[in-house]
Parts: sequence; structure tokens; C-alpha cells
Amino acid sequence: MRRAFLGAVIFAVVLVLVFVWIGEVITRVSGEAGRGAPAVIAPGDITPEAGETVFWGKGKCYTCHAVGSRGNSIRGPNQGETGPLAMAIGARASERARERAQATGKPFTATDYLVESLLDPGAYVVEGYKNEMPNPLRPPISLKPEEVTAAVAYLQSLGGTVDVAAIKLPPGVEAAARAGVGGDEWRPYLSGDPKKGEDLFFDPESNAACAKCHRVKDKGGDVGPELTGVAGVRDLKFIVESILEPSKVIASGFEPILIITKADQYITGVVKGEDGSTIVVGDSQGRVLTVPKDQIKQRAPQATSVMPENFGEILTVEEFHDLLAFLQTLK
Amino acid sequence: MVALAAPALAAQSPAPAALVEGPADYRGFFGGNSRLIIWIVAQLHLMFGAFVLGVPIFASIVEIIGWRSGDSRYDHLAHEFTALLSAAFSTTAAFGGLLVFALIGLYPKFMSFLTSIFHTTYYIYALLFFAEGFTLYLYYYGWGRMVGRWKGLHVFLGILLNVWGTVLMLLANAWASYMMAPSGIDKETLRFVGTTWQAVANPLWIPLAIHRFIANIAFGGFIVGAYAAIRFLGARSEAERAHYDWMGYVGNFVGLAALIPLPFAGYYLGREVYSASPVMGNNMMGGAFSWSFIIQAALIGMLFIGGNYYLWAGMGRISGAERYRPYIKYINVILLISFAVWLTPRNTPLTGEEQILLGGQFHPLLKYFGLMSAKNAAVNFIILSTFFSFLLYRRGNKGRTRPFAEHGPGGKLALALAAAVSIGVLLWYARSLLTLDPKTLDLSPDRARYFALPAYLLLGQIGMVLLTGLLTLRDLGKLAQALFFASTTLASVFVLGVYGFVIMEKANPFLRNLAVAQWLMVMVCLLWNAAIDLLLFRGAETVGGIRWGKMAARSQYALILLCVSIVMLMGLMGFIRSGLREDWHVYGVLQDTSQWAWTPTHAYMARVVGGIVLLFLGLVAFVFWLAGLGEKEEGIGRVAPAYDAPAAALTPGGGDPPGEGGSP
Repeated sequence: MRRAFLGAVIFAVVLVLVFVWIGEVITRVSGEAGRGAPAVIAPGDITPEAGETVFWGKGKCYTCHAVGSRGNSIRGPNQGETGPLAMAIGARASERARERAQATGKPFTATDYLVESLLDPGAYVVEGYKNEMPNPLRPPISLKPEEVTAAVAYLQSLGGTVDVAAIKLPPGVEAAARAGVGGDEWRPYLSGDPKKGEDLFFDPESNAACAKCHRVKDKGGDVGPELTGVAGVRDLKFIVESILEPSKVIASGFEPILIITKADQYITGVVKGEDGSTIVVGDSQGRVLTVPKDQIKQRAPQATSVMPENFGEILTVEEFHDLLAFLQTLK
Repeated sequence: MVALAAPALAAQSPAPAALVEGPADYRGFFGGNSRLIIWIVAQLHLMFGAFVLGVPIFASIVEIIGWRSGDSRYDHLAHEFTALLSAAFSTTAAFGGLLVFALIGLYPKFMSFLTSIFHTTYYIYALLFFAEGFTLYLYYYGWGRMVGRWKGLHVFLGILLNVWGTVLMLLANAWASYMMAPSGIDKETLRFVGTTWQAVANPLWIPLAIHRFIANIAFGGFIVGAYAAIRFLGARSEAERAHYDWMGYVGNFVGLAALIPLPFAGYYLGREVYSASPVMGNNMMGGAFSWSFIIQAALIGMLFIGGNYYLWAGMGRISGAERYRPYIKYINVILLISFAVWLTPRNTPLTGEEQILLGGQFHPLLKYFGLMSAKNAAVNFIILSTFFSFLLYRRGNKGRTRPFAEHGPGGKLALALAAAVSIGVLLWYARSLLTLDPKTLDLSPDRARYFALPAYLLLGQIGMVLLTGLLTLRDLGKLAQALFFASTTLASVFVLGVYGFVIMEKANPFLRNLAVAQWLMVMVCLLWNAAIDLLLFRGAETVGGIRWGKMAARSQYALILLCVSIVMLMGLMGFIRSGLREDWHVYGVLQDTSQWAWTPTHAYMARVVGGIVLLFLGLVAFVFWLAGLGEKEEGIGRVAPAYDAPAAALTPGGGDPPGEGGSP
């Protein structure tokens, strides 16, 4: 009996190990481990590229719509040139808008049609498809108005003309979007660990290594603004934006400059000090360089922050939230 | 456990400020991952629950067969099933209690929300649990007392046990399905404004209940089969081996019988998930969970192929079955091809170079196999083939059949009744399709023409029922069965399988109705052919005996494979069902803002589910060992009569397997 039982146990363990191995293989093949937090789209930063990330990410549009040969969903119309009328959605929207204007007796532009298709999907369903598309502003998708606007811009770019200024969401949409999702306040996706965040902040070998440039109390560099007490003066949304989009608002006194030396060396950084003969510059790696003024060929202010803009890529979701949790303790 | 818990409690640092200042939304589990703890405990509870709900269903049926036929072997078998059940019941209850405590402690906000809606059902649940417990103990311990004229009361207790169990499951399902498809919610404020009944009767309640009910039977059957397999492998006598061979056969039969309708119950549940939330539905089949369904297809394929392999291996112990062996290789080819189609993904991530080599994102031919229509056809073919295997097994040792007239009026009545049910079902759905308003599917009126073909095929099948019924009456039952199999395969698998692609192109929303038409044809084929088979081989000549116990050891490993596969399948489906909610406790209503609200990768899922499977199997083995302790003390004599009858099957002339027509 013992031998039979042992045989069964070994057999069962082998089967389970095969199952586990399949899970590992799928993760490697599908690349699902690389999924991160959705990018934050600011109202002033609406582009087709931003909309593309919404379409293929948080908006879940791809689960129903393919775009040409990208994606494989057939539940909704293909938004590429293989879609209805053999036109991509950007071009097709003009034709659909004409039909819509005839049906309603109201003027309809291609952009109006696109906006209506997203916010009132049942208004004019493409023939052969079911009226089942959810309103992306409502839970569980819960897009923000600027994300919807970006998605419309992306659809415009598919065979049409991108005109972000023409995208007008109906009045009250923002209020409706807030209903039930807790308002416009940014909320973390995870509850981070402030201790781990602190390690990330100060450890020069970590993915964040913020202390190379930022000081908290008596520790850290001076290339970037001091962050002691940052949570007391800035809300969470601002802090998140400052990490993910550092160029959006550059703190006063930390405006970046570009210096080209006579030896054609390019130096980008923040001016930390200046006298008659030298200029001291802090760069994105926290290094402080002293450049003789007589070696400077050109000096120009820059619009892009010296702070790396790829923290959304190099930090994992957990690390990002750990870091946020630590920053929130700095009051 | 207490010894372990004490230092852990002592090691806890002073309570975090949040816990002191006010109620917390979430708590960690001794600094660990709360979601993982809930996942493990809930899944173990569900697995034990499935076992204790599934086993009484077929234990009761086996007891009734024994009672009505007067064959005590069935009674002993049912008693043995119940012995396993009795030991597992308290373990299920313990895990249920642990789950509730863990949820209250780790997810207080969520539990508060759920309790505010369902608290009245908690009391009913507790009362039903008492009823279930008392009935089970009466049923099990009263087995030896309620005999003779009291046997009917004992059978009634078995049925009552199933009633309590089913209602318990329905209540628990209401909570789980509500989390996926909440009803009674004000869409503007996202507050619950409905009644408790509205919450219970949410859109996924019944679809989930049907799916679980059937799955529980399959789960119980395959676990019992594995138990029998281990006992068979360790048996010390021929009689013991014969008994556990038979028990394994019954376990496999129960598991396979329940497995056959399970894909359709799953299809129905999936359809309703999609109807409740297209976002969730699309995420299920086309989003983050599409790979999970590839694994699911592989596991279900293993169940069907393993089950068929066991049946074919079993034909080796039946004298006369060698006549049918040549067919098996063809069935095997069909199963493997269908399985391959079922497994084919529509899309896989490809690099630019790979796309150039392939000529695009999709393979020119294989891309069709990834679509739903091909998969529907494949699963129908798998089911028809499995049923065909079973019919071959049943007739393994049968020779000449009796003329139908000898069955008397009862036989004709039974045949007419089966025909009436078959025709009724086919006619009902044909009529539904012919009168279907395209508007209800958001289709233009001219698309109604696409509804005609499946309706006419359903009507054609009615003609086939009548024709094959007449052939059966004229003693051409085998031909009738072959014809009906052929017409069903042609219509359901080939014609409608290909037609599905047309529908996807021209009238996509109708694909669901088409799938139902295919499924009904297959179900009617199973019902009608089973009815003909039962009558055809009733009292047929026996050409050889069944040598119970004469099975190769590898066939027993097939039973273990089936058991492990279905446990892994249940673990995987638990992950899918729960994971579909993504970062919502209650989908679209109550968001999960804890740090554990992320969708795991398949690697993570497989490690967790794999661990749960091993834990469950280990616990089941322990519980069964405990159940066996009593058996040893009593001496196996009490159960021993069960061994006699199958052992007698070894002798020539006594080779009928237990039950009508040679099969239980």
C-alpha cells in the first residue's frame, strides 16, 4: 500500500510541476510580467500617442476592437482599414457623421461622431454589431475625461486628421465621471510600504535613487528641490506628476540649461552657482560640474527637466507606490 | 497550531496607528499578503465543499440503484462513498470558518459591505448547515439500522442531504456571483438600494450554480476514482482488487458523465458573464485571462483523453470487447485533432520577424481554429466521441440482442417517451430560431435569413429521431444509433461548425444561438442514443465475462491523472472567476484599494494553484486515511460482502458487471 501511495504522490507532484512550468512559459511568452501602472494623462498633454496607450491599456478598447492587423478582437468593428466601409475609423467617421447629421437634423462633424461613439455608444451602432459597448467613463473602466479625449485623438489619427482642439466633451461629462468613482482626487493603486520607499529613495543603487539629487532633512543631494515636507505643501496628484512627468512643472530655481563648450561638449543641468569665471552645474546623475566660462561656446535655457522622465518604466508598480508612501510621510 | 500562533502573535509589533485610530479597510496577515491567504483558504474550502456536495449526489443514486435492484453491492459502494464524505465534511466546515474569520480580519470593509446586503442569508446558511450536518450523520450512522422496510426512509435522507447541500451551495453562490454581477445598485450613487432577494437573484446566480453543481459531481467522481485507484494498486487480494477496480470504474463513469455537459454549462456561464458586463466578458476571452483559457482547454482535454483511455483500457478485461478495439484508434485521432483545435490560440505575441515569416499576425489556416466557431465544433466532436467510446464499452461483452417486441409495451412506451422528449427539445428551439426577431440581437431584418439553416437542421434531426425510432422497432437498433450519430456529427460539428464562420462575418450576435443549436443537437443525440442502447441491450446475449480486477496498473494512473487534472482545473477556474473582477471587490461598485489588488501573472497563479492542489490532495489523503482507521478496527468484514460479487464476475458465466446491461 505504501508503495502504491508513494507512486501516486510522485505522479501527482510531477503533474503539478508540469502545470507550474506551463504557467511560467506563458508568462515568458506573453510578456505579461512587464505590465505597469497606466500612464497619467494631463489635460494639457492630449496627443494621439497618449490616446493609443489608453486604447491598448486602461480603456480596454482592444478587447473588442482590433486596428488593422493589430489585435484580434472581433466583437466590435475593426478600427483600421479592414473595418466597415474599408476605411479606418478616422476616415470613416466623416461618412458616419454625414449619416448622423441626416438622421438627427443636427450638424455633425467627424469628431462629434467619435465623441458620441465613445460616450453614447448605443446612439448609432454599426450594422452587424450589438449595442453592448459600455460607457468608458463609468465603472469598471472609469476613464477620466482627458483620457477619453486622448482616445478620440488616437481614433482621429487612424486615417483622419488630428485636431485635439475640436474634441469637445459634452457639458457635465466631467461631473458624471466623478460620480461613483470618488471624484478627481488621484488615488494610489496599491498601499505602498514607506520603509521600502525610504530605502528606494536613499539607496544610490536602487531604481529610484532620488537622494542623488534631492535632499530630505540632512541627507541627499542639492541638484533638485529639497523634499523635506513636500507632502505638507503638495497634493498626491502633484507628486505623482512630478515623478512621472518632471518637465510639466519645473520648480523655480531649478530651471535646466544646456551648455555647449568650445570642445563641443554638451552639458545639461541646473545652475547651482555662478561667479565671474565659472559656472557650477548639477546634472541628472547628481554630479556637480564646474565649467570655466571662457570655455563656453553657447548657453541656453531648456524646457525639459534634468530629472529622468522614465521612472514610469524603470520602477515597478510596487516600487512606485512604496516611494509614494514614503514621500507622503514627509510632512 | 496554537504553539505556532502564540509566538507569531507575540512577535507582532504594537498595532499600527491606523488600527488604533479607527476601523481599517485592510489588514495584513502577520505582515504577509492577505489576498494570498484568502485565496488559499477560499480555494481549499471550495474544493472540499465541491467534494462533500458532489459525492452525496451519486452516493444517493448508487444507493437507490441498489435498493430498487436488490443488489447489495451498490449499497455497500454507496456506504463506502459516504464514509469518505463523512470524514471530509468537518474539514470543509473548518475551512469555511477559517475563511470567514480571515475575511472579517483582513478585509473588514469589504465584509461590512457584503454583510450589509446579505446578513439575513447568513442565518439561513447557518441553519442549513445544521440541517446538512444532522442529516449526514443520520444518513451515515443509520445505514445499518434503516434496512428492510426502513430503507425507503434512508434513501429519503440521502435525497434530503442533497437538497440541503444544493440550497447551501445556492446561498454561497449568491455571495460569490454578486461580487461579479451586483444587482440592486443605483448607477449614479453606486449604493445598494435593492432587496436581499434582488441581490441573491443576480444575473450570474443560476448560471454559476448550474456550472458548480455539475462540476461538483465530476470533481467527486474523479476523486473517488483516484481513491479507488490507490486502493487498487495497494490491494492484497484479488477480491479487494476487484472491488476497487469496480469502484474506480464507477468514479470514472460519474466523472465523465458529468464532464460531458460541463463545457456547455461553462459556455452558458461565460455568456451570462459577458451579458452582465461586456468589459469583464472581453477581459475573460480576449484580455488578461485569454491564456488562462488555453490552460483550461488543455486540462479539459486531458480529462476527456484520460477518461477515454481508461475506458479503452477497461475493455481489456471484457471478453468480446476485442471486436470493437479497431475503432478506438479512429476515436483517438478524432479526439487528438479536436483537442488540438480547441487548444489553438487565435493570436500569440509575435516579433516583427516572426510575423514576416508567418505572412502576417495570423497563420493563414490556423487562425480559423482559434475562433469560437471552430472551438464549439471541436468540443461537440469530443463529446460525441467520448459518448461513442462509452457505448462501445457497454456493448463489449454483448452478443445478439433480443427482438424489440419482446420488451413488451413498456419498451415501446420508454422509446416513445425518449422520442417525445427529443423531438420536443428540437422543435422548441427550431421554432425559437424561426421566430427570432433580429432586432433583439441588434441585427437588421434581412439578417433573419441566417437563422434558417440551424432551424432546418434541428427539424431534420426530428426527422432522424422518427426514422431511427422506426428502425429500432424493426430490430435495426444498431443501424439506428449509427445513423443518428452520423447525422448529428454532420449537422452539429461539420455543417454548423463551418456555418459559424459565416455567422461571425454576417451576423455575429447570432453565434450564441448557433452554439445553443449545436449543443442541443448533441444533447439530444446522447439522450436518444442512450435510450435506444438501454433498450437494445436489455437482456441481450452475453458473449463473455468481465474480469474485475484484471486491469493494468497504468490504467489506475489514468484515474489519478483525472483526479489531479480536475483539482488543478478547479483551482484555475477559481482564479479566473475571482480574477475577472480585477481591482474590484464588487465589480464596478466597491473598489479594492489594497496593495494586493493586482492581477497575478500566470507564473504566479500556477505556483499558487499548484501549491493549493498539493495541499488539498495531501489533506484529502489524510482525511481518507482517518476514515480508513475505523475500517481497520472493525475488520474489513463489514464491507467485505461488497468484494464477493465483483469477484464472482471472474468466473465464466458470471461475468456481468453489476447492473443492467453490464454497467451501473
